[in-house]
Amino acid sequence: MVAKLTRTLLIGLALGSGVGLASEARAYQTEIDATLDAQFYSLQSPYGSPLVQRRRYTQTLALNLYDIQTDRRPFGPTLSFKSRLRLDSDFGQRPEERNPDSASYVPGLVEAPVDVMYAFLDGQRYLDGYLGFRLGRQYVVDSLGFWSFDGAEVLITTPAYLAFEAYVGFEQRGGLPMLSGSRFEAGGVSRGDRSGLSFGQSPSFLQESKLAPAYGFAIESSGVQFLHSRFSYRKVINRDAVLVSPFLDNGGGLTYALGDRTSSERLGYSLRADKADLGAVLGSIVYDLYNRRVSQYNVGLDWFASDRAVIGASVDYFLPTFDGDSIFNWFAHRATTSGTLRADLAFSRQFELAASGGVRMFTTEGDPATYAASSAPGPSQDGRSFDYLGTLGGRYRFWDGSLALNTMAEAGNAGHRYGGDLTGRKQFDGGYYDSLAVLSLYDWEDALRPDRGATSFSYVLGGGINPNFLSFSRGRLGVEWEHTMNHLVGQRYRMLATLNFSVLR
Amino acid sequence: MIPRAKGEARPESFWLLVFGCLSALCLALCGQSPLAHAEVAAVASASASAEPAEHAEAVSPAPSMARLTHGLSAGVDGQAVPESDRPPGALPDDNGPSPAVFPTQDLTIRFNHRRHVKDLKLSCTSCHEKARSSRQAADSLLPKGTRCDACHGSDHRDLMQVRADPQAAIGQCAYCHLGYSSSAGNRVAPLSLPKPNLRFDHALHVSRNIGCAQCHGAVENLELATRDQLPRMRGCLNCHQAPDPAAGRARSQCRTCHLTDPNGLIKVSFASGPLSPPSWLHDAGHGPDWIERHKVVAGNDSRFCANCHTEKSCADCHDGRVRPRQVHPNDWISMHPVAARENQLKCASCHRDQSFCLTCHQRVGVTMSGPFANLVERGRFHPAKSEWTDGPRTPRHHAWEAERNISACVSCHVERDCAICHATAARGGRGSGFPAGPGQGSDPHPIGFRSRCASALRQNARPCLVCHTPDDPNLLDCR
Repeated sequence: MVAKLTRTLLIGLALGSGVGLASEARAYQTEIDATLDAQFYSLQSPYGSPLVQRRRYTQTLALNLYDIQTDRRPFGPTLSFKSRLRLDSDFGQRPEERNPDSASYVPGLVEAPVDVMYAFLDGQRYLDGYLGFRLGRQYVVDSLGFWSFDGAEVLITTPAYLAFEAYVGFEQRGGLPMLSGSRFEAGGVSRGDRSGLSFGQSPSFLQESKLAPAYGFAIESSGVQFLHSRFSYRKVINRDAVLVSPFLDNGGGLTYALGDRTSSERLGYSLRADKADLGAVLGSIVYDLYNRRVSQYNVGLDWFASDRAVIGASVDYFLPTFDGDSIFNWFAHRATTSGTLRADLAFSRQFELAASGGVRMFTTEGDPATYAASSAPGPSQDGRSFDYLGTLGGRYRFWDGSLALNTMAEAGNAGHRYGGDLTGRKQFDGGYYDSLAVLSLYDWEDALRPDRGATSFSYVLGGGINPNFLSFSRGRLGVEWEHTMNHLVGQRYRMLATLNFSVLR
Repeated sequence: MIPRAKGEARPESFWLLVFGCLSALCLALCGQSPLAHAEVAAVASASASAEPAEHAEAVSPAPSMARLTHGLSAGVDGQAVPESDRPPGALPDDNGPSPAVFPTQDLTIRFNHRRHVKDLKLSCTSCHEKARSSRQAADSLLPKGTRCDACHGSDHRDLMQVRADPQAAIGQCAYCHLGYSSSAGNRVAPLSLPKPNLRFDHALHVSRNIGCAQCHGAVENLELATRDQLPRMRGCLNCHQAPDPAAGRARSQCRTCHLTDPNGLIKVSFASGPLSPPSWLHDAGHGPDWIERHKVVAGNDSRFCANCHTEKSCADCHDGRVRPRQVHPNDWISMHPVAARENQLKCASCHRDQSFCLTCHQRVGVTMSGPFANLVERGRFHPAKSEWTDGPRTPRHHAWEAERNISACVSCHVERDCAICHATAARGGRGSGFPAGPGQGSDPHPIGFRSRCASALRQNARPCLVCHTPDDPNLLDCR
């Protein structure tokens, strides 16, 4: 019955989109992809109240056009358009949480915003492969992180194994408005619409009315299989007038910072060199020009011991840095450094194991008793803290399903987390039905709050129907039920319903 | 295969075959493998045949068992194939190419390439003549049975009426078709050679003077050609490694060889299994720990990822739609404070502390500022003041934690919470400013900050002015 209803629903969607697409012959490919997720769960304050009811409904709708260019030939230029819109609503919000006059007001909370996740025109291999470009809201992924901007990017690939990339535009700010969860601007600040707020209300919620110009460039290797390196630079500028101090001036007034200011300015470099019968070296480094400090680096060495075994070691260094408007840049003194050993073993094409273990270290800047003073204590006076970490994962794939184990352990000054998930997936009836079962057991202890430790058991049961009723479409209706038990939350339930539909032709 | 009309008299070789089967049965009882049965049957058939002079070894009247097992495996006489004879790029324990690209085969035939190429001086294209003109990987390059007829004496012109050469052992069906038995329906077992999931133009490579061995290895040294003699991607990349403008048609892009969906992405799902990068390819093996490792590979070369993944793949996790259970398992909401304090790097890859984290913390009332900040029943989140603020600077002191992981601090605290103590008195705080006076200890700047402060002030004075007045001597020093 459910299958029939789903099939009817999806056919209706298909007729609404696919049939319309089929109305005339054309060279380009069209893809429509829609996802709907409904989640129902509760969040309770560790103090008992308030109880936040989440009634989340998230919908994304993508429209992609491929091969828009008039002529299609192998290795010829291609032009495509990719876009995705998102409606991200939480009907569990209380109206007073969005009312600036209410004591429950939370800056930045919006009930049902719609945003453009990305929308850009993508041109590749123009001018005999020399030129590529992107125009619109787009992502950039490199050693500087996962970032998004509105603007234009040009890529010039040369025969000399080098490619040059340059972009200019405006940083995407806002991201996921429901949670005020910007993803792409530097951290340490919270920005949004301050209309309706008094001057002194939520002073750290900074005004955002002007676009933030951003530009950058990258030089990277191209076409060399055994080597890839990318050097990148990016600068973002803040232009809004923002409140400076949370306190009134001596004269009782408020000070604003005006004009163009550095939001972030970073250099990044990454390198990968590999030899298939030996191993690989991977590394990246980020230098924060505003802070004048190396904020991140990582170096990894992997030995391809055989076609079925990889043994590796890596070092990760991370010093948090923030937006130029944030005071928190000056509170981060030293980085945490992690050293990890890992092994990946593929016993067969079906059965794989991965294990890793390591230590994360933090060293104070001099004597812990005096390190806030401006004098420079000797290194022998350093204080150190260590976290120990390990993971073990395994995966067994069989014809119509898989079984996966993910376990982890971390212990240190913050407390510990030990636990793992066993996840099984299986398809039935040639993939028409799928099922999911997860068993999860975790134990954790919060060193700062011993009463917040727990041993928690959770299970998830889920299933879906995949009625691929047309050759050019895919659809899935799925439901998941999650039940968690521990002494902190008692019994917690979460229900997730998803409907995905995609047409490509 | 020798189909007979109903009522047709059984040829004499039939009885020879029966004799052969009986012999095979005897041998089986003595421990021979089932595979040997057919061989023995063939031998029995051959024993009554005349042999062409040039095939003296194969058709001798009473050949030994050892000599009749050739052509059943790649290595000579069942030995392992020397690494030097395998295709370029093959690794010692790679078990052949990926079944997603070259699905597994069912070879029901016996063939000795070594004998044909080395001993009989035949070239590859003597049999695989279509290799010169084939434009697609899906083309079958296997020779038809008629190609064998000239030497073997059989007649494959009509596959419904295939005739063996009753005079020659090498002309018997069972000589090449494994498991053939005229008594079992007189059929040969089907040969399964699925089409590769690949783009390949043999003609183009031949026209570039690329020899067979450059992709298939030294097949002339081997007996049966198996999946192991099919090309390896590592071998392809010996030539396919130049940037687009310089590469001509030997481009290094994945789609040069791999099949694509209409949206231009590499097709990764096949009936023979999923396609994923091998571990040696850009160190991007998608093993069980891939979710931990992908940052390094994607950060280095995201265009490589874009061969198979769209922006959606990144956004599903990094621009959160649904909680990814593999990253946030079990009761993550209760567990996440420990995780956030242990590993801020992971959190920072998706979440922003002052927006995402703080907003949620304010809603549930765990922040120092916000709707529920001052309720008496809130209790204290951190250790006692005697430890957290006033005690010696152990890891249970807030300064230690802030210097190690300020991100965790500011997921609950706004700048006002810090400025209350750390801002200069002139700015409204309790602190003495920069540098700290004796006993104050409220200067938050790291050692060596003075050498960098001028640059920071020049680029963005806003954070300086949170704690310092414009006429603060320390600020003037930085200018």
